[in-house]
Formats: sequence, C-alpha cells, structure tokens
Amino acid sequence: MEILVLNGIVNGLIVGGIYALIGMSLTLLYGVLRIVNFAHGEFVIGGSFLAYALFSNLGLAPLFSLPVAALSFFAMGWGAYYLLLPRLQKSDDPEIMSFLMMYGVSIALAAVMLLIFEADSRSIDYSFTPISMKVGPIYVSTARIVAFGIVIVLAAALTWFLFRTLPGKALRATIMNPEAIKIVGVDVVKLSAFAFALASAIAGVTGVLVALVFPAFNPFSGAEYSIIGFIVVVLGGLGNPLGALLAGILYGLAEQLATVFLPQAMAPIVGFGILVAVILIRPTGLMGWRAQR
Amino acid sequence: MATETPVLELRAVDVAYHGDIRILQGMSMAVRPGKITGVIGPNGAGKSTALRTLYGLLKPVAGDVLVDGEVVTGMPPWRFIERGISLVPQNRSLFNELSVEDNLQLACWSFRRDKARVAEALERAYAQFPILKDRRTQYAGAMSGGQQRFLELGRALALQPRAVLLDEPTAMIAPKLAAEIYEFIHGLPKQGITVLLVDQNVRQCVRVADHVYVLELGRNKIDGSASDFTKDADLRNLIAEWVDYRIDA
Repeated sequence: MEILVLNGIVNGLIVGGIYALIGMSLTLLYGVLRIVNFAHGEFVIGGSFLAYALFSNLGLAPLFSLPVAALSFFAMGWGAYYLLLPRLQKSDDPEIMSFLMMYGVSIALAAVMLLIFEADSRSIDYSFTPISMKVGPIYVSTARIVAFGIVIVLAAALTWFLFRTLPGKALRATIMNPEAIKIVGVDVVKLSAFAFALASAIAGVTGVLVALVFPAFNPFSGAEYSIIGFIVVVLGGLGNPLGALLAGILYGLAEQLATVFLPQAMAPIVGFGILVAVILIRPTGLMGWRAQR
Repeated sequence: MATETPVLELRAVDVAYHGDIRILQGMSMAVRPGKITGVIGPNGAGKSTALRTLYGLLKPVAGDVLVDGEVVTGMPPWRFIERGISLVPQNRSLFNELSVEDNLQLACWSFRRDKARVAEALERAYAQFPILKDRRTQYAGAMSGGQQRFLELGRALALQPRAVLLDEPTAMIAPKLAAEIYEFIHGLPKQGITVLLVDQNVRQCVRVADHVYVLELGRNKIDGSASDFTKDADLRNLIAEWVDYRIDA
C-alpha cells in the first residue's frame, strides 16, 4: 500500500505539474484579457500533434519539438489575437462573447485535427534510455521525470518573468487594475497580444509534455484539458498565476491519489469535489487577489 | 492668451454610456497652456466623464478631442503620455501588490529601455515626494490614502509632463494633506506644467484656477476667469445654487 501511495504522490506531482502549466497560461489569459479561452485544451493537444508530426515525419525527438512548439504557437497566438480579439472587446459583454467564440474555435480546431490526423488515438513511439528510473522504492518512467524537470524549469521561468521583469509586472499590473495600466501609458493592445501569444506558446509546449507523459491523445482530448485548466484556475484564484501553480499540483495529487484508494472512475469526482469545497469555503480561490482586482 | 492654441480641447462632444444614455451633450472646454483650468459642478454633472474623454478613456459619439489644435478623437490613452499629458484619476490607479518603485517604473514604460532616463524620472518623483523614497520597496496598497495620492502625483509628474489632468485630487484625504496638495498644484504652472483640475471642492478649485468651467447635467453652464467668480454676485449665487457652496466675494 505504501508503494502505491508513493507512486500516487510521484505521479500526482508530475501530472499536477502539467495541469499547473495549463492553469498558469489560462489564468494569465483570463486575468489580462478577461477572455475565457475554451479552446485552450485544443491548443495543448495541437502541441501534442505537432510533436507527433515532427517525430513521425522528420524523426525529431520530442525534446527538440519543445522550441518549435514554443515559437510556432507564440506566432500563431500573436496572429490569432489580432484576428479574433480586438473586435470582441467592443461587444457589450466580452467575457461571454469570448467564451462562445472560443468554444466555436475549440470545435473548429478539433475538427481540423480530426481531418489531418483522423480519430484514432495517437502516441509518440519514442523512449528514453533507460526507459525508467528508480526513485526511492518505486520505478518512474524517464519520460515522466524529464517532463517534470521541464515543468519545473518552465514554471520557475514564468514566475521569474512575472515577478522580476517589467513586462511581467505589467502583465500582473493589468490583472490588478486594467484601467490604470492604460493611464500610465502602457500600450495594452500590444501587451494583450503578447499575453495571448505567451499563453499559446505555453499551451503548445505543454502539449509536447502531454505527449510524453500520457499514454495517448486524440483530436477530442482538448476539451478534457480545458475543463481541468478551468478547475485549476478557479481553485488557484482567478487571474493568479502562482495560485494556478499550487492548484494544478494539488489537483494532480488529488486525482492520482484518488486512484489509489478509490475506483479510477472516482478520480474526476474527487477533483470536482475539491473545486466545490474551495468555492464554498474560499470563493476567491486558494490565492485569490486580496486587495484589488 | 486668447489666441494661444489650447493644449487640450473638447469641441461639442457627446458621450454616451450603453449606447443611448448621454452623459455629455455638446460639451466644449479648452485647457490653455501654462494655466490651471478648473472644472466644477454638482454630482452627475459629467466632470469626470469630460476628463476621461479628454484623455482617451472614453470615445465620444459626436464632437472632437484636440491636442495642440490637432483632432485626436479616438486616440488611445497611452498615446497621451507620449505627447506629454498625464492623468491622475479620481479612483485609485495604483497597482496595490507592486512596490512603490515598480509603480513608478511602470509609468516609464514608453522609455523603459533607457535606464538613465528611468532612473532620472524615479529620482524626480522621490525629490518631489521624499516619503516615496522611504517607502520604495513597500507595496503601494500598504500605504495610507494620502501617501497613495502622493505616489499617483509623483508617478504622473516623474515623466515631466507639459500637462496634467487631476480628478478630485484631495478626495478622501485629510484636510492638512489636502491643503499641501492644493499648494503643490498651485505651483505647477511655475514649473511649466498646464493643469486641468476637476474638483468638488469649489473654494479651493476657484482659488487655484485661472479659468473655471461650471458643468450641469452634461452641458456647459457657464465659464469664466476665477476673478469673475469672486467678483460677480450673480455668478456666485448661481454657483451657490448648483453646487450648494457659496464663494466668498
């Protein structure tokens, strides 16, 4: 039993790290742009398919797909922002309109992936050497350990960017006081485009990690990651990247530990149970902004 | 003076919320260079709306906004900073969970890569309000209301603007600090800074302003020099009736 619990904790940290990345990028989008990006899961799965296509066609190892995914998704996000979002801000209720539009985008993206890759579940037939490593008394696949290392580096880099650089502080300032950021002279259109591009790049990179960590993915897997992303965002506190980091890991641990003690089908119920409990006890989330929104 | 091109101007501006609720109707206003222009009026007169329209935060449905005589209607707020115009709004515009220094640095966004200029701007703010230097690592949200107002003023003036728009600068501020702030505002034209002062405090506004606009229900009611307001008994009575405050002769 001890081994199973330890296994649950290690896998919970790894999977939770991936959920944290999804949550951090999604909460950044919501905080800065007030956009409910229901297509975020499709962006993630798009990253998985990119890694799959690069490996299948060019033999490029998934680790080398990471910079390709980051750059291509950043460029795509930048373009998509100018194509889709400035007009949306002129509607009476941009948040609801963004939800509806991005829901449409998620269906369209899933359909495009279906068209290109068909409905079968895919996986990248790539393995590290050695295939697994001993961590204490348990064995963990090397791919998962590598993915977790990348999650830690990315989360640390993102945290450093948001808390130590002026553009990062500008993004956080936009979350704290969206009108004041215009008053002090920041070009919010460019800043918003950057936020959308950055969130898309993180989603693309996360997709490559999903392909490493999870056994398979298909064009319709995106919705599942969007929902988990939203749970993490609400758990952590809307618009709070550090909250999303903490919430992602907590959600991953809860999900993986639930499978140790309960039937596998109960795992999502436990996750949603935590969400409902947090909303009831602390509606602002674990680390909701205290003084200012 | 009458021929000088205003730094900022509203010309026959209509502003509407939610499509059809007109807050400003045919409002006109000119902010003359090197002067303090005051705007007074009862609650709901459209004072703050006029100021927000002048700064590009609201887009008029009719009429024009001008900077130095050039029509700039629809220009986004961040372009006003580039043209040497800063705003201190009525509601707190600080980033509470950033430090005092971070708040000041964000105001230098348009020239953020010029480290020497940023350092100079910060020093300017610290020189004008030394308390900010003492608190530079503290969260802005942890300071008192008066200190927060100093930070907003310091942030606006650190950029050496040629014009500053002030909306109720002493609202919710202790009287002693408020008096200091009015003295500070009074001295700004001597530094070459044009001021537009929107205020509920009629006495102080008329005292420091060179020219005063009175608004009522989103329209211009009257305007004149500060001396008109103190000398003309009819005008004084009119103001007393509108804003429930009698100006001393």
